[in-house]
Amino acid sequence: MFSNLIVGASEAYLGDSLFVLVVFIILVALVGKFAFGPVSKMMQDRSDKITNDLDNAAQSREDAAKLAAQRATELKNSKSEAVEIVNTAKQNGEKQREGMVTLAQEEVQTLKQNAKKDIEQSRLDALNSARDDVAQLSIEIASKLIKKELSVTDQKSLINSYIEGLDKQNEIR
Amino acid sequence: MDDKYPIISILGIRFNLANCLSVLVSAILVFALVFFLSRKIMLKPTKRQNILEWIIDFTNGIVKSAMPGEEGKQFYLFAFVMFMFVFISNQLGLMLQVKVQGVSWLKSPTANPIITMSLAMIVLVIAHYFSVERLGFGNYMKSYIKPVGFFLPINIIEQFTNFLTLSLRLYGNIFAGEVLLSLLVKMAFSHGPATMLVTAPIQMVWQGFSVFIGAIQAYVFVTLSMVYISEKVEMAD
Repeated sequence: MFSNLIVGASEAYLGDSLFVLVVFIILVALVGKFAFGPVSKMMQDRSDKITNDLDNAAQSREDAAKLAAQRATELKNSKSEAVEIVNTAKQNGEKQREGMVTLAQEEVQTLKQNAKKDIEQSRLDALNSARDDVAQLSIEIASKLIKKELSVTDQKSLINSYIEGLDKQNEIR
Repeated sequence: MDDKYPIISILGIRFNLANCLSVLVSAILVFALVFFLSRKIMLKPTKRQNILEWIIDFTNGIVKSAMPGEEGKQFYLFAFVMFMFVFISNQLGLMLQVKVQGVSWLKSPTANPIITMSLAMIVLVIAHYFSVERLGFGNYMKSYIKPVGFFLPINIIEQFTNFLTLSLRLYGNIFAGEVLLSLLVKMAFSHGPATMLVTAPIQMVWQGFSVFIGAIQAYVFVTLSMVYISEKVEMAD
């Protein structure tokens, strides 16, 4: 090969052009396959991703704003609801309390009346039996003392006047 | 310059081995750099991936400024590779120049007009190919007589001037930079340590400036390529 070697001045040679062309085409192919292609693709992917992320972020922000508004209204509603519930409970409590008080009062009233009635009854009973006993006794005493028979009605009126006298004496005492 | 080059002839086609080797080294460096930067690609980019993405964004921006629409997307890869290749080629000769017994083996490939012309030819072939593909052959031919018929010769000449300005601007800038660099090296070795001390800072300044020029020229080359392609691809109203 080097037998053809000529050493001369610089001239334009066709071989150089062909060599440049071939080397350049190979270089373009290799760089495109190993470096430019992948890197360009990655740059494209990145710009796509950034665009997508920006869109998504805008969407998310809208959603978040919507949710926040919804929560605020819900919170307001729940507050008024709570107030209503408390009010209802208060009213119910008041009603119940009143009902219980009335009931108790009624019961007490009834008990009182019953007791009064019982007392009155027993007093009357005691008085009646005492009257009868006293009438009988006085009749016996009188019949024994004066051996004179008195009519029962006369005696009763006599005894009544007597007992009234006792009552008065009692009241005075 | 009076540099000598190793030339071989295969099947009657002559190859300048220095150019071929330089182009090959540049291409391997570009691929190695890009391959190194593109390992472990993730959605959250790491340091290396950030560098690569920054360069890709940069070249995509160049394409978008010429072709803002959907039609520009098919040129992203081309613009990226062209930018990286021209940039690395421009820097290669600043870091590494190999000469064996007066014969150049390695230097900036873009400091040779045949290489820059080849690159410009690739650009123009792509421009015309996509013009026909996109507009159809009839509209492609009609674009030569727009806006009016007598613009035909101007439009045809414009294609050649585009080709020449695109290639020779790059070649001239890089070649001039390398010439000055080698002149400074010769000056440094001309009168012993004294000239070396004087030349070293000048050399550093010029190398730094050449890095800057190399970057600017790579940017200009890709920008003008995209402008020429967009002129051909987009329907002239």
